[in-house]
Formats: sequence, C-alpha cells, structure tokens
Amino acid sequence: MIELKDVSTIYEDFLALDGVNLEIKDGEFVSLVGPSGAGKSTLLRLMTRELKPSQGEISIDGINIAELTNKEIPLLRRKIGTIFQDFKLLSRKNSFENVAFALEVSGAEAEEINEDVPKVLNIVGLTDKAKNFPHQMSGGERQRLAIARALIHRPRILLADEPTGNLDMLNGYDVVKLLMKINEFGTTVILATHNREIVNIVGRRVISMEKGKVVRDQIEQGKYII
Amino acid sequence: MKKAFKRIFRTGWLNFKRNSYLSFGTTGVMALVLLLFSGLMVLNYISGQIVTGLEDKVDVSVYFKNDASEDQVISVKQDLESQPAVARVTYISKDQALTDFKAKHAGDALIQQSLAELTDNPLQSSLNIKAKESTQYASIVTFLEGNKLRPVIDKINFYENEAIINRVQGISRGVGNWGLVATLILAFIAVLVTFNTIRLTIYNQKNEIEIMRLVGGSNWHIKAPYLIEGGLYGVFASLITIAVFYPTLWFISSKIGILIPDVSLIGYFVANVFQFIPIIFALGIALGVLSSYIAIRRFLRV
Repeated sequence: MIELKDVSTIYEDFLALDGVNLEIKDGEFVSLVGPSGAGKSTLLRLMTRELKPSQGEISIDGINIAELTNKEIPLLRRKIGTIFQDFKLLSRKNSFENVAFALEVSGAEAEEINEDVPKVLNIVGLTDKAKNFPHQMSGGERQRLAIARALIHRPRILLADEPTGNLDMLNGYDVVKLLMKINEFGTTVILATHNREIVNIVGRRVISMEKGKVVRDQIEQGKYII
Repeated sequence: MKKAFKRIFRTGWLNFKRNSYLSFGTTGVMALVLLLFSGLMVLNYISGQIVTGLEDKVDVSVYFKNDASEDQVISVKQDLESQPAVARVTYISKDQALTDFKAKHAGDALIQQSLAELTDNPLQSSLNIKAKESTQYASIVTFLEGNKLRPVIDKINFYENEAIINRVQGISRGVGNWGLVATLILAFIAVLVTFNTIRLTIYNQKNEIEIMRLVGGSNWHIKAPYLIEGGLYGVFASLITIAVFYPTLWFISSKIGILIPDVSLIGYFVANVFQFIPIIFALGIALGVLSSYIAIRRFLRV
C-alpha cells in the first residue's frame, strides 16, 4: 500500500505538487493522467526516493520513505520496478547484462541470474535478442527490455513513466498489454501517461492531475477526461 | 565475496574493452604522464651522477715540511683516520711524489732534464684527505689546525680549494632543490591531467550511473568496476611506458655516454629494472584508481 499525505514539492520557486493526498492499494492498476507539467513524473520520482517531498509524508507498506538512510534507498528501489519514456538502458551492456545487472547489485548468485534472466526475457518476448545491445534494437524492444529489468526483482510495485511516449500505437499497445498481464499476477502498476487511447483501453482507476493537484479520481472504469 | 570480486573485475574489464576508443585516449595520456616521470628519474640520475663526480674530484692535501719525519706524518694520518668525517687518507711519501711527478711529465724533456740536475728531492711528502661529505672539509681542516703536529705541516691546500668546494656544494644543493621543485610541479600537472581525462570518461557515463542507481545498485556496486577500469588504464599505460622507455634509453644512452663518460644510463636502469618496473606500475595503477575514485564520487550522491 502506498500512501501520500498532504505532499507538496517545490522546485526552486515552482510548485510541482500541491498538497496531494492519495491511497493506492496492493494489486491496483492506476493510470495517472494529465498534461505535461501536471506533476505525474514528480509523483513517481518521490516514490523511488529520487526526490524528497518539501512537505508531507509518503509511506510504502507503512514505512515513511523520507526517513530511509542512504544504505536503505537501494533496497527500496529493488522493491519497486521502474520504466521510463527514454528506457534508461545501459548502452554498454547487452540485453542479458542489462537485466542481470539489476540482480547483480542485489548480490544474487550466478546460478540464479542464469536461471531468472532468460525467464524474464521470455516473458517480454526477447529471448532471441539476449546478446543484442540497446542500439541494435527497436523502440518497442527496448521498452520491453526495460520492463524485463523492472520485473527481475519480482517487484511489488511497478512505476511506468510515459512508457509509450516514444513508441508507435502498436508497440505502445503491446507494452500496455504487458503491464496489464504483470498486474494480473498481483503487482501494483502505476502508469503515468497523457495518451488518451491507452488509458481508455485499460479502463481501470484513473487519477487526473493538473498543476500539481489531483483534480479527479475515478476508482472504477476510468476514462481520460480533460 | 570471491564471486562479487570476480564479477566486478569482469565488469571493469568489459567496460574497458567496450569503451576502446575512450580507453585508448585515456591510456595514451597516462602513458605520456608516466613517461614524463621516467624522464624525471633519468634527469635526477644524470644530475646526481654529475654532482657525485664533481664531489669526488674535491679533496684536501696536507703538505709537510721537509724536516718532518715519516713517523710524524703517519701519526697525523692516524689522527685523521680516527675522525668520523674522514673517508680515507692517502699517504704520499717524498719518493712516491717524485715518481708520480716524473711519470706525469714523462714526455717533457725540459722537466726531465731539470730533475736530473737536482741532487735533492724537491717535493714534499703529503697526505691526501677525502671527506665523506664535501661539507665536512672545513671541520677537518680546523681539526688539523689544532693538531699537536701542526708545526711540521707546511700548508693545507684547502684554502685554495675552498672556493671550488663551495661552488660544487652550491651546484649540488641547487640541483637537488630545483630538481625536487620541478618534479613536484610536473607530478602535480600529471595528476591533474590524468584526473581530468578520467573524469571526462566517467562524465560520459553519468546517465549510466544514474540508471544503475535507479535499479537499486548500491554505491559500492556502481563504484568498484570504475575503480578497476581506472586501474586497467594504469596497467596498460605502464606497459606502453616501459615498452617506449627502454628502447629510447638504449638509443640516447650512447649519446649521453659521449657527453658524460662516467654515466651509463642503460646500465643503471637495466640494473635497477626490478625497482623501476614496479615503481612505474604502482604509480600508474595508483594514479588510475585514485583519479577514478575522486571522479566518481560526485556522481554517486543518492
């Protein structure tokens, strides 16, 4: 469970988030919508503790993440899978190594890596691209690789920041279908996007944001409404 | 633990290999820096040899009056030898001095003729004194001046040599001080250049470092491969340095030998190869690892 209580974030003199209150239960699929600059990315970056709120409290499973020490932050990030519009893959590593790295940093054994990485590459349909480097792959393949990496820790929460932003409709649709499948297995998914079609396809909880505030929260059968 | 080390080494090596273009540049810069250090070592060695050569030529002779007995001269010699500052005392008797003189001027008919006409040996017996350090001659002379046998001593040529001795000491001090200053300045520049090159290399990868942090990499896991990579730059730069240094040395050694016959560059550096090579490797690796460590620190703020 993710809980935000009266969270505000100020970038120098710009108010990115303005008193946001939210509660996201385990296993939910939440679409976070709104125009650019509405505060969607800021919200996600708060959850991975890339940012600290200027005011308010964020807790994940009852732990206030602002209080985590530098040593505990990597542990939080291993519990949360993250995917981005620009994929954020390691360009000097091939597909297998990109996914394996996320396991290596948690001190996994080589046998575990050799067993788990092919499995997760199979889930996202990249088995035959294991030796390819990111620059040798298409946008859709790169995003699926990013998802594979996010999944390798069997995260309880998956944050997706505009994952379809750089993809055409078909590839974007594939990625969203993959996210829905992952959600079916019990992972909480938070999808930040301004892509109307995709939100309407998902048809689950939709939180609309504008100017740093939550303006609408449709719990069931949400639609993209501006 | 062993596995983690193996993995870190592998990653460091892979980064080095896959980044070959940048690695090549960085290694090249470091090799230049190490060659600079080697060059300084050569200069230090040459200047040290020249100064030692000059210092070796400095000595003090004590000439005895003609009425001094051999026993008295030997007694002074023994007194001198008991002095800690004295390295060695050579006794040259009147006869020995004459033989030396004749030998020295064997080709000069006029001198030979003049000597033949003399019935008496005109030369004085003397003691030739070598001090351990050129700064100690003054105190040795003071000791002689206070000796009970001072009356049989005719003259001490220190007073004529004093100016030369002082000048040699001046040169020796100057070479030492300026050599040290030059070495320190160049070493500082070298570290700065290496550090900056590695910093740029790592700056190129700041996105990668950010990603590693985002997927939950601990600082140590992110940092270690970069330190290995830095160390590898050092290893390869050292190899290049050694591969360039010895042939170059061999080439210039004969030319330096013409200018300064006492100095054998190649001989010295070949004799000390087991000191020189580890020094270059230690320097290269330390420079690479340290520069990487400082450079990566600022990208690792969580």
